[in-house]
Amino acid sequence: MNARVLVTGMGGELGTRVAQLIEAREWAGDVVGVDFVPPRRRLRRAEFRRIDPRDRDRLAAFVEEYAPNIVAHFGVYEPASRMTPASARERTEACTAATLSAAASTGVLEYVVLRSGLEVYGPPTARVSVPDEDAVPAPTTAYGRSLLAVEAAAKGVALRCGVPVGALRYAPVMGSHVPSPLGRMLRLPVVPVSAVSDPPFSVLHPDDAAIAMVTAIERRLDGPCNVVGGGAATPWQAARLGGRVPLPVAPGLWGLVGRASEVAGAALAPHVVDLIRHGCTGDGSRAREELGLGDLTSTQDVLRELFDWADVVAIARAGEQAA
Amino acid sequence: MTTDTLDADRIVRPEAPWAALRRRFSGRYPVDPFGLDPQLADLCTPVFAAAVRVRISGGEHVPASGPAVIVSNRGFGVAEPAALGVAVQRASGRRLRVVGAPDLPILGTVTRRLGAISSSSPDVTSALRAGHLVGIPLAPTWLRTGAGDAPLAVARALTVAPIVPAAVRAVGRFGGMIGSWEVTFGSMVTLPDPYAANDPLAAARFTDAMRRAVAALLDSP
Repeated sequence: MNARVLVTGMGGELGTRVAQLIEAREWAGDVVGVDFVPPRRRLRRAEFRRIDPRDRDRLAAFVEEYAPNIVAHFGVYEPASRMTPASARERTEACTAATLSAAASTGVLEYVVLRSGLEVYGPPTARVSVPDEDAVPAPTTAYGRSLLAVEAAAKGVALRCGVPVGALRYAPVMGSHVPSPLGRMLRLPVVPVSAVSDPPFSVLHPDDAAIAMVTAIERRLDGPCNVVGGGAATPWQAARLGGRVPLPVAPGLWGLVGRASEVAGAALAPHVVDLIRHGCTGDGSRAREELGLGDLTSTQDVLRELFDWADVVAIARAGEQAA
Repeated sequence: MTTDTLDADRIVRPEAPWAALRRRFSGRYPVDPFGLDPQLADLCTPVFAAAVRVRISGGEHVPASGPAVIVSNRGFGVAEPAALGVAVQRASGRRLRVVGAPDLPILGTVTRRLGAISSSSPDVTSALRAGHLVGIPLAPTWLRTGAGDAPLAVARALTVAPIVPAAVRAVGRFGGMIGSWEVTFGSMVTLPDPYAANDPLAAARFTDAMRRAVAALLDSP
């Protein structure tokens, strides 16, 4: 097939893993990635261009010149993950607009797959607590709205170019090496949890997220698809799994807890507070049936892996211990 | 990978109190995406079974595995769904995911922990796709004299799984509060003509067929 593949957001953990998987595939010809930070692992034949998505003109010019057949759009940045919420929104908007419009203008685009999230559905309601892809999106956080805007932009490209577009609605991706506001919060010694509810949430292992994207490319998935780790956990339970102390928080005190958590090193983005208070799960049956993803790492195994990761030890203390 | 899971579909004998407490304290218990906590549900099962005495007939109609809908009559309150849950457990050893978890802060959380799910069509469909046995009480008939209609929201979900009718009758004094219940399961409800999954017309015809099937079981001697 010898397809020319573009991976946006290649500097992130997920983008790098996806690029590693793609460059090992026979159907992939040239593989090129862009991001504002370099890849986090060694890539054998994929090339990397360091372009800040906020430099739209440079990014669009590069994409037009490269003329990709396939775009794996990982340039969707989670607030409080590696940057502030405002910066994440700005980079996501810029990367999506510049990449997709430039790729559509080349006339050789064949397929687009993008990272989205369960946050597009908004918090579970009395009507729907485990939404499937037919549920009407109703995001209540800036991140959820940002993901929905990315999906809408990609749908526009699909209409303009007549190409299939797959939107992978990931459960929160969490792992020992993935920057995640939820993971950071759960690794605090004291974990804030809701005093009035203990709703279930699901997460996704980064390896599963990467495999899902490559499989979506190979099977030309069209439309949205939830990708969710098996089972679920609740915030109280997650805190105890890690040997942490759950701290019950009354509904009006989350702003205060957010500031305290930020001081402790784990900024609480609104979509993380939403997850802790209302839960976040989804029906992953389409991914099982159409992508063959029937054996994803369970939520509780992902949490165990997160907690098994060694704590950060200050260099001075580590030196003392070694001596 | 996971070695500490309990079965989300089948009821198991509760662990020794010390082991259960240790598992609880360390967070090593499963939770499903609808909120079911199998360990807590298994701990409560003997209490329900002692409180609600049930006589069962037609238990062979309850599927031993795979998704299915059990449709039953209902009076005012939660006695019928509780009796049906106990009957399903005795007949097949499986958990019944009763539709109709209330959207209230504490009561909603507790009922979901014990296996209830919301009465929305997407949630019922998701539970069936996950292979659960879903219990759908028909609309309440206040004097427990017959079978009401199926909730409209869940009617479309009924076309994707086998449907088993059930009649729950009080045979004790004071409408079953003191005494026991009789639960009769009938044979699977089908339509004579072929139909497509999620077909609204088929859903409406299923609604009529299962109301008639439950009413016939209630009228049987």
